[in-house]
Amino acid sequence: MQRPWVSCDGHGQTPGSTSSRPDTHQEHPGERASSEGDLDRRTLISRFAMAALGGLLMPSALAQVAFQPNRRTENVLVFLFLRGGADGLSLVTPYREDEYFRLRPATKIVAPRPGSDLDLDGQFALHPGLVDLIPLYREGDLALIQAVGSQDQTRSHFEAMATIEQGTSTASGRGAGGWLARYLNSTRSAADSPLRAVSFGDTLPDSLRGSPQATRLNDLDDLRLTSAGAREKEIRKNLEALYRSSSDEVAVAGLQTLQVLNQIEQLRSAQAPRTSEAYPNSPLGRGLRDTARLIRASAGLEVACLDLGGWDTHVVQGTLGGAFEGLARDLGASLAAFARDLGPEMKKVTVVVMTEFGRRVYENSGLGTDHGRASIAIVLGQRVQGGRVAGEWPTLAAERLEEPGDLRVTTDYRSILAEVLTKKFGVSDLSRIFPDFTPSPLGLLA
Amino acid sequence: MTNPHPSRRTILQALVAGAGVAALGGCTRVVERMSPPLSEAWPRVPEAAPPAAYRLASRLGYGPVAGQVEEIERIGQESYVLRQLDADFEEPTALQMRLRRLDIETFGAYDLRDLPEAEILRQLQQAALLRAVYSPNQLKQRMVEAWSDHFNVFARKGLAAYRKAESERTVIRPNALGSFPAMLKQMARSTSMLLYLDNQQNRAGTPNENFARELLELHTMGVDGGYTYDDIRDVARCFTGWSEERRFLRPKGSFRFIAELHDDGEKMVLGRRIPAGGGVRDGEQVLDLLAKHPSTARNISRRLCRLFLGEAPDAWVESMSKTYLSTQGQIREMIRPLLLSSAVLDSAPILKRPMDFLVSSLRATGAESDASRPLQAHLEAMGQPLYQWPMPDGYPTDTSAWSGSLLARWNFAMEFAQGGIQGTQAASPLSDPRAWRTAHLIPDHPAFAETASETEALALALMSPSFQWR
Repeated sequence: MQRPWVSCDGHGQTPGSTSSRPDTHQEHPGERASSEGDLDRRTLISRFAMAALGGLLMPSALAQVAFQPNRRTENVLVFLFLRGGADGLSLVTPYREDEYFRLRPATKIVAPRPGSDLDLDGQFALHPGLVDLIPLYREGDLALIQAVGSQDQTRSHFEAMATIEQGTSTASGRGAGGWLARYLNSTRSAADSPLRAVSFGDTLPDSLRGSPQATRLNDLDDLRLTSAGAREKEIRKNLEALYRSSSDEVAVAGLQTLQVLNQIEQLRSAQAPRTSEAYPNSPLGRGLRDTARLIRASAGLEVACLDLGGWDTHVVQGTLGGAFEGLARDLGASLAAFARDLGPEMKKVTVVVMTEFGRRVYENSGLGTDHGRASIAIVLGQRVQGGRVAGEWPTLAAERLEEPGDLRVTTDYRSILAEVLTKKFGVSDLSRIFPDFTPSPLGLLA
Repeated sequence: MTNPHPSRRTILQALVAGAGVAALGGCTRVVERMSPPLSEAWPRVPEAAPPAAYRLASRLGYGPVAGQVEEIERIGQESYVLRQLDADFEEPTALQMRLRRLDIETFGAYDLRDLPEAEILRQLQQAALLRAVYSPNQLKQRMVEAWSDHFNVFARKGLAAYRKAESERTVIRPNALGSFPAMLKQMARSTSMLLYLDNQQNRAGTPNENFARELLELHTMGVDGGYTYDDIRDVARCFTGWSEERRFLRPKGSFRFIAELHDDGEKMVLGRRIPAGGGVRDGEQVLDLLAKHPSTARNISRRLCRLFLGEAPDAWVESMSKTYLSTQGQIREMIRPLLLSSAVLDSAPILKRPMDFLVSSLRATGAESDASRPLQAHLEAMGQPLYQWPMPDGYPTDTSAWSGSLLARWNFAMEFAQGGIQGTQAASPLSDPRAWRTAHLIPDHPAFAETASETEALALALMSPSFQWR
């Protein structure tokens, strides 16, 4: 039995959605799990959603390119994910603890010399690769949080990343969409810029999954129709007509892409990039440079997601001069350049840096470290109560470690995110974004 | 939802408030509260349907070439599926000739060692693209891509590119429709995988868990497959010493079990005692155990369901798992009932990944292509540079991972239609737009009346929303 191409008639479920679709097994074809009443309701909802969408997206939206910054807030959140599980013990070293040096013979970072700038507070030292962050730390704009993590115990990259990006306790609710998507969706308005949420990289991160407003890009300069030549205007018009007559997820993404093209074009003609600020020539450096350009242009950017991968240092993690230090330098120099570049406009910006987990306290035979539990987080911004290493330090004492030898999580990552959302983005009902979670604020933001 | 019939007014208010269905009230279940509010109300599938034969060719393979829809209609869907399962079409001479010129098609990793890495990566992508576009054994090529994701190796790590070229040729392709356990066992001995997951570092006394963990989580049982951390630890111990040849005057980089690095103590894996002194048999026993495990059967079944249906309905997963267990993991037997059922055509459309989109564009337009760097660069711009996904889980398969990369697709379509991609050219001369329409490439839409040329019409067709789905 052939059914027509599934469409938005109430049977239409999202490809990849978690809700189990009606069974299509040959033994009982055509049987439907949903009740008639349910179908009616869904049809109704779809119809009205389309009507509402028509108002939001369709006729005049593309013509009218004067984008207002969003009305709720002018603030911008930059969410930077260190992928692979960054070793928090190397980034913010507990140099007073003998256990650290004993368990890390080959990968330890030596204790700072007395009076060294890298000595953060007499207990922890910053990795020398992050030295560019020291001025921000001393000015109080940067807070480091030790022993941050989720409740995920699998130590699987994918589970642990999915947990943090979905904003849940563990990744069991996979498919629920990202916490940033929930924030964006719960605060959507018709005045939103098509550049409200961007991610830099090849694919959309889980934290933004489920937000139709999210745009993925590699580089601002990529955002143009190449080879369209003199016919660009007509081609765009035809594309708009095509994409407007469809109603699927791709059609929505297509219309949004057309809006983005309009906006970027304006941005390009309106403003030459500031070239004085030296960002590292790395994907992260370029992504933060473009993020700064969007912020300075008041393009309506509210959320930017960036990644820095390569932290899965099972082998030859190195102390100084190795792969790990290269990553740390990229991170430190990129963030410092970003803060300098934005100058006074940093007051709108909060940067949160997280990773899916830390590394095992004792190193392995390959001069590297295996998957562990807690790591660090970084919060950067002008209203940050920084200049300190926050969070309860569980210590490396054997009896305080979590089996099989991992730093215990004392700060749930959501406590940090919740504080940013309430203090900077006016979110009052966190239960919509982090269900079944009660945050314990660390006082990171004024 | 506790209230099955909210009033029209409630719904309108909810939408006007921009709060979507989350505000419908009475929603108490966490999962529902967490769904991004608008997406449930947001129809996400295309409305107009191309003919069944077109969709079948797009699900099993990379879309039809000219005349194929009519051909499938003539021989019948069942015959088409059975031929694809047999995968015994002779490869066209032109394809064979092109492949024969590639070093990676002939030589092993060691003999390729003098070629630069960039050349190996170029050839790897070239071979995959050429096969996907020109091989009549379309299902097989799709399976090869899927298994290459399942056993993902990041070809830019160390010497992995050379070894990936070899394992693609000797492990993935021969087993793509054959025995999953055979593929699993050969992959575990492939130094592309052992290098990628750091198993040369996995030694007695100081195990490196990377390979063991991904073997359980991704290659076999799945993260919810019921193993514990102790299992990971002891699986890692079983694979200590699974390494590569490094001795003088030996073929460096081939598999070698180094007994001195092996932890020969007793291990417990999934409740099974692996006695001391087993040597290389420890790892082999683990692979046997995993290959026969019901969790593996389910995990592999889920993956295959998602490949062809875009989702994994319980009933299909159950029946495929049974087939897996009764046939010792014969892939062809697992997917045969699924592909012959109406489930494939009944399921919601799946968004094409960039590889799918690009290859189906070339097939639909009868393109001549050498699949060289200029074409590969477009695939990269769309977000899927082949063999270069750094994480062990392979390129994502879900729609939302890819819906943000339309612009790169549009740019490809325009450059391709204009003949601007060096080494790649759509069939020439471009026949009149009616021909494209009968090829189900150009949707019936007034926008095409506004196009200035056939080139532009073709570009627009490839850029259109309907061409993004399979």
